[in-house]
Amino acid sequence: MIFWEIFKMAANALRINRMRTILTLLGVIIGVSSVITIISALDGLEQSIRAELEFLGPSTFIVAKMGIIRSDEDFFEALKRKPLKYEYVKAIEEGCDKCVKVAASSSAFDTEIKYRNNKLRNVQVRGSEYNIIDIIDFELGQGRFFTAEEDLTRRHVVFIGTTIQDELFPGVDPIGKSLKINNVKYEVIGIAKKKGSSFNDDADRVVFVPYHTFVKQFGHPRGRMSIFVKANSVEDVPDAMDQVRNVLRARRHVAYEKKDDFGIVTADAVMAVLNDITKFLRMGLVGVSSIALIVGGIIIMNIMMVSVTERTREIGIRKSIGARQKDILMQFLYESLIQSLGGGAIGIAIGVILGKILISLMNFDMTPSVSAIIVGLTISTGVGLFFGIYPAMKAAKMQPVKALSYE
Amino acid sequence: MSLIETKDIWKTYDMGKIQVHALRGISIEINKGDYIAIMGPSGSGKSTLMNLVGCLDTPSKGEYYFTGNRVSQMEEDELATIRNKEIGFVFQTFNLMPRATAFHNVELPLIYNGSSKEDRDEKTRKALAAVDLTDRMMHRPNELSGGQRQRVAIARALVNEPSLILADEPTGNLDTKTGLEIMQLFSRLHKEGNTIIIVTHERDVATYADRILFIRDGQIESDELVSTNEKKINGTII
Repeated sequence: MIFWEIFKMAANALRINRMRTILTLLGVIIGVSSVITIISALDGLEQSIRAELEFLGPSTFIVAKMGIIRSDEDFFEALKRKPLKYEYVKAIEEGCDKCVKVAASSSAFDTEIKYRNNKLRNVQVRGSEYNIIDIIDFELGQGRFFTAEEDLTRRHVVFIGTTIQDELFPGVDPIGKSLKINNVKYEVIGIAKKKGSSFNDDADRVVFVPYHTFVKQFGHPRGRMSIFVKANSVEDVPDAMDQVRNVLRARRHVAYEKKDDFGIVTADAVMAVLNDITKFLRMGLVGVSSIALIVGGIIIMNIMMVSVTERTREIGIRKSIGARQKDILMQFLYESLIQSLGGGAIGIAIGVILGKILISLMNFDMTPSVSAIIVGLTISTGVGLFFGIYPAMKAAKMQPVKALSYE
Repeated sequence: MSLIETKDIWKTYDMGKIQVHALRGISIEINKGDYIAIMGPSGSGKSTLMNLVGCLDTPSKGEYYFTGNRVSQMEEDELATIRNKEIGFVFQTFNLMPRATAFHNVELPLIYNGSSKEDRDEKTRKALAAVDLTDRMMHRPNELSGGQRQRVAIARALVNEPSLILADEPTGNLDTKTGLEIMQLFSRLHKEGNTIIIVTHERDVATYADRILFIRDGQIESDELVSTNEKKINGTII
């Protein structure tokens, strides 16, 4: 009851000094919105990449020439490596008893896909073995996936993602139709299920063709080929990875003391690297924008100090009619909290919008980040309390006699 | 039991190297229903005494009992509670909240003691009616005359039905006629049973009271009853 009344007094004082309040708000708005912009942009980035990686199940890993690159030296060393060979697939199947499925896969992006007058450019064309559908997280929607025989006999069949279906075959059942990939004809035999969990439509902007058909059309993609491996179970992944490493090291004659000359990629490892990068980005950028927030806090403190001094007499009057220290403290604390939280709320809104724009400029998509909102409200409450407590204490601790005689 | 009892109270201010004794051992007793004026030249310590009696400050030395409670050792928040419930202040400069309506100004002490909305409404209206300001309730101080402002301040002092009304030069900022009206209002409030202390340096004002305390150099110089032939009632000398 009394707190609500004191809250009204505080709100009233802010309303009376409208211009001052707006300028104070501005300080917090700038601070909070820049922090939130960065947090939500980074969150969006992470979300998108996580979604991209989702097609790799927890028990799946990829063997590739490059692997995860952590430094410049890694990169230049990796460039000099020999490409992977198709025969490793068989070698892994034989030498790794913890591996259930092994498939070669390669992809091309410099593509043009046509159906009648509809055209799509830069679609991911993935040339894979028949069992890739059992390894990666793509499900059969309609029709069927291609068979081992179709792969070995290099048949021109294609399995398409839903984005391709929607954009190339509006209102048409694609199954049995012919489309052209870089002017080569393929028959559509199946459609994937839409990747529901994905935040990113691009996960469905893909077509699958048989590996050997792909090689025939796009040349021997040894540098680009990677081998997808599915382990028996999640628990078997480390063992399976060790077995695969042994097989490849033997095949590639890697000396005992030398490091692997190939890379093994798991979704977890990619996320770990990503987290490393974004962690530093986060610390750096949030650090920089926190300065704006501190400036906002100092503005609040400064204004509140002026306000307390200006209203010394008012404080004296309130005390003379029975306001306790905590009543005065609350009144001034409410004033700085209203300003910091108000500025915080506006700042969050601006920050989320700016973050969304930033993310969409990078061709990603994001859902508004709850963490950004929580962080925004927490820091603005913190700023209000931290920078508001001293002026409020100063007001509360005033001696009534001195305050009353203040001119 | 007396309403107010001070026993040898001192107030000393530390001004760097020297100490200034604003009060030097004052002992007074005031009973419920008394109407007392405190007089003295400026710098005599009368305002300091009023601040102590009004629980705005505590003495450096000596004991002060208010309604039997030992105020001299109380903490700031306990003093605030006494000021809120037991004392109504009326100041020379009115000391109203300039942006708030007369109603809100009078309501304020009730807000600080956590009264309910209905309770506040009723008591505020009653207090404003007691000073004949019912028709000015929603005006702000700058829309009121000096006399009206002081009556708002008196209503605010009355609203918690305090044991003591303390007025510090209540007519100091008013013209003679308006000052007279305010003093008549105090006389009426006294007749209705209120205990009143008025601090003033004007004998004309002081003679509305029943008893005058003269303060000089922080000590009581004299404590006299106002003789009936000097006593002012309703602005006329009887």
